[in-house]
Amino acid sequence: MTESPTTAVQTEVQAQEGGRVTVVLRGALDVQTMGGLWRELEARLRPLKAAALEVDATALRLCGGGGLALLRFLKTGGFTPMAKVTVRGLGEDLDQLLWLFADEDSEAAATERRRTPSLPEEVGTSVRASVRDLREQIAFLGKMAAELAGAMVHPERFRWREVKRLCITAGANALPIVSLLSLLVGLMIGFESAAPLAQFGAQIFIANMVGFGAVRELGPMMTAIMLAGRSGAAFAAEIGTMKVNEELAALTTMGLDPIRFLALQRVTAGMILTPLLTVYTMLAGMLGGTLVMLGLGFSISEIYNQMTASVHLHDIRFGLSKSIVFGAIFSGVGCLRGFQTGQGPIAVGVSATRAVVSSILLIILADTVFAAVGFLVS
Amino acid sequence: MNGESDIVIAVRHLAAGYGDRQILRDISFEVRRGEVFVIIGGSGSGKSTLLKHIIGLFPPRQGEVWIEGENLLSAQGEARTRLLRRFGVVYQSGALFGSMTVAENVRLPLDEFTDLPEVVKEHVVSAKLKVVGLTGAAHLMPAELSGGMQKRVAIARAMALDPHILFLDEPSAGLDPITAAGLDALISQLSRYFGITFVIVTHDLGSINAIADRVIMLDAQSGTILAEGRPAELREHSANPSVQRFFNRQAIPGQTMSEVKFYGSKDQ
Repeated sequence: MTESPTTAVQTEVQAQEGGRVTVVLRGALDVQTMGGLWRELEARLRPLKAAALEVDATALRLCGGGGLALLRFLKTGGFTPMAKVTVRGLGEDLDQLLWLFADEDSEAAATERRRTPSLPEEVGTSVRASVRDLREQIAFLGKMAAELAGAMVHPERFRWREVKRLCITAGANALPIVSLLSLLVGLMIGFESAAPLAQFGAQIFIANMVGFGAVRELGPMMTAIMLAGRSGAAFAAEIGTMKVNEELAALTTMGLDPIRFLALQRVTAGMILTPLLTVYTMLAGMLGGTLVMLGLGFSISEIYNQMTASVHLHDIRFGLSKSIVFGAIFSGVGCLRGFQTGQGPIAVGVSATRAVVSSILLIILADTVFAAVGFLVS
Repeated sequence: MNGESDIVIAVRHLAAGYGDRQILRDISFEVRRGEVFVIIGGSGSGKSTLLKHIIGLFPPRQGEVWIEGENLLSAQGEARTRLLRRFGVVYQSGALFGSMTVAENVRLPLDEFTDLPEVVKEHVVSAKLKVVGLTGAAHLMPAELSGGMQKRVAIARAMALDPHILFLDEPSAGLDPITAAGLDALISQLSRYFGITFVIVTHDLGSINAIADRVIMLDAQSGTILAEGRPAELREHSANPSVQRFFNRQAIPGQTMSEVKFYGSKDQ
């Protein structure tokens, strides 16, 4: 104990007659000093072809156990495969630890790895996971529908205060970023369409393009995708963390259904706030296009007349109807992925990612269906 | 025995707190090489706060922390990194990296701070896992381990660079008595075999009696050290009522259900 722990380790290799070799180790051995010692011993012991190796560790101090790795390697004949190896001077406790350690089948322990599955196995596992996921989604959808119906029958049991909180955090707080991005996209569409339309002297139709696009597509889709990234991921992370912290288990054992207690409010909030934000997105998008047209020399009245002539009430109704569905999708998927969270903090990150990816995929899929149905109906 | 070099940690007049709240005032003590030094105290007495300030996670409001003769607070850059490598920390939760296997967790400091050949690193990881009694668990993920196993892996990771000092925050928290006793035995062995100095924060009486060479007890009211000494001395001879209550597991008078004043009651 009096010896400074930073004393460098030293070695002395003595080759004797009859292939007997003695290695004397002195000082403090730790992972910082071991690399050099390991290389030195390897270089000096391997050429000797020792028949017997004696390691004298009387003056050696093992700091933290890293040095055991070297002693074990020496003891198991790592540098002297043909030699009978003895280690002395370690003390009873450490000697026993080294003996137990050296006796273990290190190769078996090292090769005990996870088996890599074959391709058919991977395909099978993946298909099974997809089917299970689909089943869970359908079950969740059914459960949500039943809970929503139940909430309509018994509105007094509904946690409106939580819905209000969620509308503020997921909706009102998202208003600035949603409005800004929509304004920029409106500007972008205006600029991009200005040059081609100028070739036909039809720049006035920028108003039709921006107005029609913002109301039917840009507004609902942009809002839903931004909310999926911002609030859907937050729902998944929040519920996922609750699952990791066993809060969901606590709810269940209290007799409270986590879907009714947590998901119902979030999906309701999603279905309320998405159309509200969509209105702002529509207006911001149209404002972006209007700014471009003002820059091109059109008057406000010209732009207004052109926009009102191209955008009808049923277009706004169509856009808002889509946004309600999109709101249900991003909030529902966010909650579902939260409930599907596995173990550990990584699982929360995985759930949030899955929530965003699935939401965007389903929103675009639903939008395609809306577009096809809209086309057939018109 | 050189008296000066025998002191591995010296805390001098340390004061700490968060925001407006002062938690620790004028804390001074020394830890000797190779001893198991335990910081005890009731909930909220600042045990974990003290630990976090000793290991340099937070700067204290006043005072100094010396690790093996070097001032941790004034050390900067490479000197600080070198100083930090002299000790390992085991957090209450284990704080294992969930995306890495047990072996990868233990190996991480070796990859980052040593130039050991690959084969040597593998042997070192194997040795560390052997030392903590987890041979065969190298390929498992932390989520697949029990609480006791996670603590052992955390110890193996903290020991990866063969530090001279190990800090442990509530090592037996959340463990059953048998697993906790196993952990105590491991700490004793590591101290005896490798001369590692332990600084442990705990309020587990069983652990304190089993492994502590010396303890300090913090006082939640004053934020100072209430008592210092060997556990048996404090248990048998301390005249301080708080120390006696702690070692004899007695409730503070006035906190039984019939006597307690509820928060928000009019006489508060």
